[in-house]
Amino acid sequence: MSVFLSSSFIHNIFGGLATGVIYSLVALSLVIIWQSTHVLNFAQGAMAMFATYIGMTEIDRGVGYWWCVIISVAVGMILGGMTERVLIRPLYGKPEINPIVVMVGFLGVLEALASAIWTSTTRNITEPFSQVYYQDHGHLIFLSAFVIFQMVLAIGIMLLVAALFRFTKLGLQLRASALAPEVSRLLGIRVGRMLTIGWMLSAGVGAIAAVIVASGNFGLFPTNMDGIFVAGFIAAAIGGLESPMGAVAGGLLIGLAEQFILAYWSPNVAPLGGIIILVVALMVRPQGLFTKRMSRRV
Amino acid sequence: MIRVDNLSVNYGAVRALREVGFEAPSGQITAVLGANGAGKTTLLRTISGLVKPRQGAIYIDEFDVVGIATENIARRGVGHVPEGRGVIEELTVEENLRLGALSAQVNLTDALNEEYERFQVLGERRKRHCSTLSGGERQMLAMARALIARPRVLLLDEPSLGLAPQVTAQLMRTIAQLCETENLTVLLVEQNAKSALRIAHRAVVLHLGSVVANGAAADVAADEDLRRYYLGVVTS
Amino acid sequence: MNWWRAFPRQETTNSRVVGVAILTLIALLVTIVLPPVANSELAGGAAIAIVVLGLSWLTGWSGQISLGNSGFMAVGAYAAGIWAHHHMTTPVIFTLALALVAGGLSGLVVAIPSTRLRGPYLAGMTLAFSAAVTPLAQNFTSVTGGEGGIFLNALVTPSWFAHFFHGQNASINANAQWTADLSVVVAGIMFFFMANLFHSRTGRAMRLVRDNDVAAELMGVNLSRTRTVAFVVSAAYAGVGGALYSLLQESVRPETFPLTLSITLLTLMVLGGMGTLSGAVIGGIIYSFSANLVAHVNSLTGVNPTSNLGANMQGIIFGVLLILAMLFASRGIVGLVTPLRSLWRVVMSRRRRLRDTLGTTQ
Repeated sequence: MSVFLSSSFIHNIFGGLATGVIYSLVALSLVIIWQSTHVLNFAQGAMAMFATYIGMTEIDRGVGYWWCVIISVAVGMILGGMTERVLIRPLYGKPEINPIVVMVGFLGVLEALASAIWTSTTRNITEPFSQVYYQDHGHLIFLSAFVIFQMVLAIGIMLLVAALFRFTKLGLQLRASALAPEVSRLLGIRVGRMLTIGWMLSAGVGAIAAVIVASGNFGLFPTNMDGIFVAGFIAAAIGGLESPMGAVAGGLLIGLAEQFILAYWSPNVAPLGGIIILVVALMVRPQGLFTKRMSRRV
Repeated sequence: MIRVDNLSVNYGAVRALREVGFEAPSGQITAVLGANGAGKTTLLRTISGLVKPRQGAIYIDEFDVVGIATENIARRGVGHVPEGRGVIEELTVEENLRLGALSAQVNLTDALNEEYERFQVLGERRKRHCSTLSGGERQMLAMARALIARPRVLLLDEPSLGLAPQVTAQLMRTIAQLCETENLTVLLVEQNAKSALRIAHRAVVLHLGSVVANGAAADVAADEDLRRYYLGVVTS
Repeated sequence: MNWWRAFPRQETTNSRVVGVAILTLIALLVTIVLPPVANSELAGGAAIAIVVLGLSWLTGWSGQISLGNSGFMAVGAYAAGIWAHHHMTTPVIFTLALALVAGGLSGLVVAIPSTRLRGPYLAGMTLAFSAAVTPLAQNFTSVTGGEGGIFLNALVTPSWFAHFFHGQNASINANAQWTADLSVVVAGIMFFFMANLFHSRTGRAMRLVRDNDVAAELMGVNLSRTRTVAFVVSAAYAGVGGALYSLLQESVRPETFPLTLSITLLTLMVLGGMGTLSGAVIGGIIYSFSANLVAHVNSLTGVNPTSNLGANMQGIIFGVLLILAMLFASRGIVGLVTPLRSLWRVVMSRRRRLRDTLGTTQ
């Protein structure tokens, strides 16, 4: 057993899952926004990065790690809600290109602002758990207290989000507003408020992902979420952008694929891992991307 | 009670409603009749606040609702069963009903049980996804979902559309019963004038956005010209 | 009678082509009087205008969006750079043609799986591409020179051109003007082709696809082929622009093509106006002035240009402009012309109607 745990194959699975859960979180946050407002939020990563910076400055002032997490999430949610109100709401009913371009512009503003305020040097949030890998009779196991924390937190958040949507009144209203906004309004549901709450939730989930990233080896810098956003988008796209489960599975898949390309093929082509998976997914099942929305508006 | 006053609606350059005015008293069914494109659906959508009128007023129990947001009109006791029923297919029967009850001050369990009693077929299918329901069952669900919020006004948009004649007849009986027991103001939009007039107390006939007749249902039903020109009912 | 009525606006290919030629000539004349710094800014603007034109064609004419054009620029730049590094004496036009082909091919590779995609999916796919290009360039050190990049000296001023320059800094002046002239001519050629492409069969098919793809399909337009062509052309233009840009910078490095470059391109396209030649020209001009503009804003607001905020001012300004333009004038400055013109028409007809009513009542 112990030798099994320390085999390189198992190492890579742990490593892949550890990054995979981050991608899953980002993908999930993209799906939440997509379902409610049909906007692919290109600033999702940057918003999370920005919120984490604000949380981190509180750590600098001597606040504990968990307060930093809570502050980051809270700031992320406020930022998400305000973004929906100010930048997205005026664009409902406009061509779908408009919100894309606006969010790309917002991404640029946030990254430039972050490097203006906090410089572009990498910082690390003091991790709450040790990053040192466990050993088993002298064999290194690719697991550390931090990796376990990262996975537990990410999976916990996913379960929480799933429970919220599935079992609460708020979740039911969120789902209804996304599925049938007009009918929901006829039933007295405040759809506008639901869209804002959807963005807040999504930005909160994104902020958790960014905090985990900033606590690990990768660290925090203004563009640190760019690559993670791309991986998260690919994960969400594989799952069809509409399916939370698909997004989570897609995230894990990409995490594993990257790890295995890195380990068994060539680290040089690792950046292409996500794209290769997306292309293959498109070739195998192009309609998989569109899931239920098979019919086109004429 | 609904009172519509001098109501005009434009879609761009197209006049959908022209100076429409009528009254629908409480506890009675008012049928809104007319051919395709007469403005019937637009009328209901304007009452619910989904369409903004160019001019005019809509009083629901002496309160003008023009300019109020749709969700707030719904919260004021207006139940609207839209064209095509508006059942959310991805949700279960019970979830659809819970949605209807959310904005109202009702005890959820009691209200659900009451609706399951009223429409027993829904109780049998409560955990099913709505995509598995038949057309008639969907219509029942849509009505139950509107009724669960205890509305004072019920707007029904073509409830008989796509239903078999026997199902339609049963539906009409249910509507008539509801109107009586719950003291509802019912506005019943129908293309199927014959079955609507059978249960309606009053009728309003729209033609190209204007009211061409407005009175007791029996009078409208008896008017040979109206029937021939606007309602498409062949004299038997 | 208004004098301009004597010159009816003809929307023919000929008039556009003549317009491109005249504009190119004017730009060439301008380079004679400009100081060297301004000339190199103009050259950079011309290179970027080519890329913006390619993006504008894709977005404005086929309704697709790409966040990958900085990636296509990088492909063209590396193709040109690697070639020029090993074959110093190749004429620049040939190097740029190579960049065109390389850019187009990379566009084809991205387009084949993407043509079924629309809107957000396509944007995400192209973003994934441009995000992968920089790390790839960093990783394949033996070919690309890795982080340090490739140094180039391909734009040598020919001796016949240098003869015109005398006195102090003659060679600097000559070189600045030569590179500016070369860039303007290359841009002129690319604009000339695009002017024709706009009104070609493909161009018209593309507008149809943008406005109503179902109708276009019913009329026999091959959707995925049209979308692929749009993409390949856009990528080829990005390739040429990227190569020219790198030749001007005398180096090809990964950090020249960050994600923010794609944002800058989008901003320039939107500010200039989508889907028009003049929009791309305006975009290029804005880019030429952007350094000055940012310096101006810094001095106006009292921000130290070497501070963090000063260094990131351009990113902030461009991002904010992009957002504002999309929220308030989604067709850019060129798009603003039309609403203004229609407003004018409304005012005039009101006045006429008023006059008529007054006339009948009197």
